[in-house]
Amino acid sequence: MKILVCLKQVSAKESTLRLSEDSLHVRESDLSFEINEPDTFALEEALRLKEQLGGEVVVVSLGPARIQTSIREALAKGADRGIHIETENAESVDRTWAAGLIAAAVREEKFDLVLTGLQSDDLGTGQTGVILAEFLGLPHATIIMEIQIEESRIKAKRELEGGWFEWVEMPLPALLTIQSGLNKPRYASLLGIKKAKSKEMRRVTPVELGAEVSGTNALRLRKIYVPVKSKNTEFLDGTPKEAAAKLVERIRREIVSSPS
Amino acid sequence: MAERERFDTTVLIVGAGPAGLATALRLTQLIHQHNSEIDHGSRQGRKLSTEEICILEKGREIGSHLLSGAVMDPRALRELLPEFDSVEGPESAPIACPVARDEVYYLTERGQWKLPILPPFFHNSGNKIVSLNRLGRWLGEKVEQSGATVFAGFAGRELVYEEGRVTGVLTDDKGVDRAGNHKSNFEPGYHVRARITVLAEGSRGSLAKQLLANTPPSRIPPGRSNPQTYAVGVKELWEIPSGRIEPGTVIHSAGWPLRSDQFGGGWLYAMPEGMISVGLVSGLDYRDPRFDPHTAFQRYKTHPLIRRILEGGKLVKYGAKSIPEGGWYSLPPLSLSGTLLVGDTAGFLNSQRLKGIHLAIKSGMLAAETIYQAMAADDFSDERMSEYALRVENSWIREELWPVRNFHQAMQNGLLRGGVHVALQLLTGGRGLYARYPSRPGNEHMAKLLQEAENIQPPLVPDGKLTFSKTTDVFHSATRHEENQPSHLLIADTNICNTRCTVEYGNPCQNFCPAAVYEMVEGKQRREIHLNPSNCVHCKTCDIMDPYQIITWVPPEGGGGPSYENL
Ligand SMILES: Cc1cc2nc3c(=O)[nH]c(=O)nc-3n(C[C@H](O)[C@H](O)[C@H](O)COP(=O)(O)OP(=O)(O)OC[C@H]3O[C@@H](n4cnc5c(N)ncnc54)[C@H](O)[C@@H]3O)c2cc1C
Repeated sequence: MKILVCLKQVSAKESTLRLSEDSLHVRESDLSFEINEPDTFALEEALRLKEQLGGEVVVVSLGPARIQTSIREALAKGADRGIHIETENAESVDRTWAAGLIAAAVREEKFDLVLTGLQSDDLGTGQTGVILAEFLGLPHATIIMEIQIEESRIKAKRELEGGWFEWVEMPLPALLTIQSGLNKPRYASLLGIKKAKSKEMRRVTPVELGAEVSGTNALRLRKIYVPVKSKNTEFLDGTPKEAAAKLVERIRREIVSSPS
Repeated sequence: MAERERFDTTVLIVGAGPAGLATALRLTQLIHQHNSEIDHGSRQGRKLSTEEICILEKGREIGSHLLSGAVMDPRALRELLPEFDSVEGPESAPIACPVARDEVYYLTERGQWKLPILPPFFHNSGNKIVSLNRLGRWLGEKVEQSGATVFAGFAGRELVYEEGRVTGVLTDDKGVDRAGNHKSNFEPGYHVRARITVLAEGSRGSLAKQLLANTPPSRIPPGRSNPQTYAVGVKELWEIPSGRIEPGTVIHSAGWPLRSDQFGGGWLYAMPEGMISVGLVSGLDYRDPRFDPHTAFQRYKTHPLIRRILEGGKLVKYGAKSIPEGGWYSLPPLSLSGTLLVGDTAGFLNSQRLKGIHLAIKSGMLAAETIYQAMAADDFSDERMSEYALRVENSWIREELWPVRNFHQAMQNGLLRGGVHVALQLLTGGRGLYARYPSRPGNEHMAKLLQEAENIQPPLVPDGKLTFSKTTDVFHSATRHEENQPSHLLIADTNICNTRCTVEYGNPCQNFCPAAVYEMVEGKQRREIHLNPSNCVHCKTCDIMDPYQIITWVPPEGGGGPSYENL
């Protein structure tokens, strides 16, 4: 089975977030980076399927040079090779553009199964996977908690709201977006890290993938800002009785009289 | 012990701080030179490979656990990478700015007295303000490009001995739960087997501690028998409205909030874009068990001198780390049965200048030169490795550390009495009144509660703007550990904590730990010790200052710990 896993490198959860001067970004120099959490589960699921069924696991990621550490980490855990789509900025908001680039980079390879995380920890749009499925002409299902492969079909358990779930079935090739927690991701081993140094990492640029996709980076981010907190706590002092009286007074004045 | 998979290498370096990274980088330079000389026929012999160098780093990435002031003396970095500040682009080191001016103050609670003339060791012109985290990341990239392998997220957990000689380390087991059971993703540690193991773990190295505990006193170099003594530095990074203080301003202070019998002092370094490094170093040889280095630092920021600069600014990051202060007379044997000790692990730190980065780099380079000779001669015997100590003796490391060999010991009794001795030492080339001022381990200075009833500092209520609680600060250290793992703080006998220590010292672990790891909680009959190991910022203060010496710090599952971006 030939499996593709889409990885995104995102800022580590504990990073200090300070806006950049132009308010279009957070300051990169403050950040450390890691693989987007749901993607690590997607990778683990792919590695397990390969262990069961044989085949190959390929990882693809999009972004500047620093994302190679994340591709290497996946290779160290057991992925066979990596594809790095070299772009200036991984966090372009236009997910159609990103998915288009990935589709162009992998279309020829005819993967049996494509796994992505269900959404990214930074932008959290949850779109890249499904748009990619559309571009590749694959059936897809989202928020997957369990996978069963049967011959040339796949059964997947989808998370719904409030503890509910459903099973869906579709033919392969297919694309699934993976929910965190469906397995326990492995650690990279020393030997794995050493071996990863000599595994193949293909590097391509948007230009090499064709103008057709590179031209569609159409969404522009205008501004990001920290939401203003509007919580306002006031203490009413005095004995409990006095405080209660003040409270009643305030409710009368401020709430009852406010337009309904 | 379960059978471990073996991973063979020639050179193993434990710790990717300036010392370990300089060891690796210098060695790869020598190997590249060696190989090109063979290619050009100017040297006979076999080629060497940089692939034979491995580095273990417990932090999730190179630099995650690096914290320093830092005003760096560029001397060693210039020797290692002469181009570090002369070119633009990725070849140039991440230097925040050069030091523009020095100010030194003596502080009282409200007052300040500026030293009109600075003692020579306070002069910083020519030095650079850096973030050690960023410098480390940059050096790390160079090391990785040069062919050596850095294994980030892997701790050296235990030394492996074969026939009395160290043959590498065991790395940490991953995927073990709190009770010691294997989780489904259990990954056993490796035996990384090497011909030479370089301990570059920084201050109070946990492997170095094992090594030195196994070393017979007869191996201690004559005359260097002082125990290592330490300080702990508590640091915050701030962002203030720019224009308030000139970038490159370096402020040091002595006195308040430390008592006159305490070693230590404060610093504030101004960098471009309104970034401020501010912190307080407290000697870990204080008397009062109620002393709290974190609270003292919070108080320090309320002094008008510091408050004026920080007020209205924003806390960005926090961290804490210990510092070896013992100096020359506390240096352990530098090469010991299959190991070399470099940087803070050995104790190469000039406590008078509070500088160790340049000494860490230089000692790493000297270790590398020794190892290169061994690789070329295919001879890693103890005799050959002992050349490292000679190289140190003949280098500017000794030239720098020898004149200040008695500084910390003289200051162990505080600034006032110490000042007289230091003045004498300056006049006599470092000797002072005695040839070697002796010292005791810092924890032995701690007095029992009963003897020390005076002068209880009122608790400080953090205002959340200028001053912060330990838990708020720990949040800003971005510390993360896998929660479900065994505690990495081993207490030999918690009965001592819950009975004797409560009576005798009032459980000072709650005070000296700058990360709120130790708590006394109400138990059935008495207050009992409770640990929050996932708060731990790896400063090692507990291992150093615990009065009964029953706390042992061991590395947690690799990758856990703080994330010190820009510290
Ligand atoms: C608060 C403070 C302020 C300072 N200010 C200055 C200053 O202004 N100028 C100056 O020159 N010096 C300063 N120093 C001193 C300087 O930071 C140190 O001397 C220097 O960092 C020592 O380098 P090192 O490589 O020996 O150790 P470290 O920098 O401590 O690096 C050790 C590395 O080894 C890793 N490690 C440790 N144990 C293990 C293990 N068992 N397995 C795997 N990895 C491990 C650690 O995670 C770390 O990354 C200051 C220090 C402190 C704490």
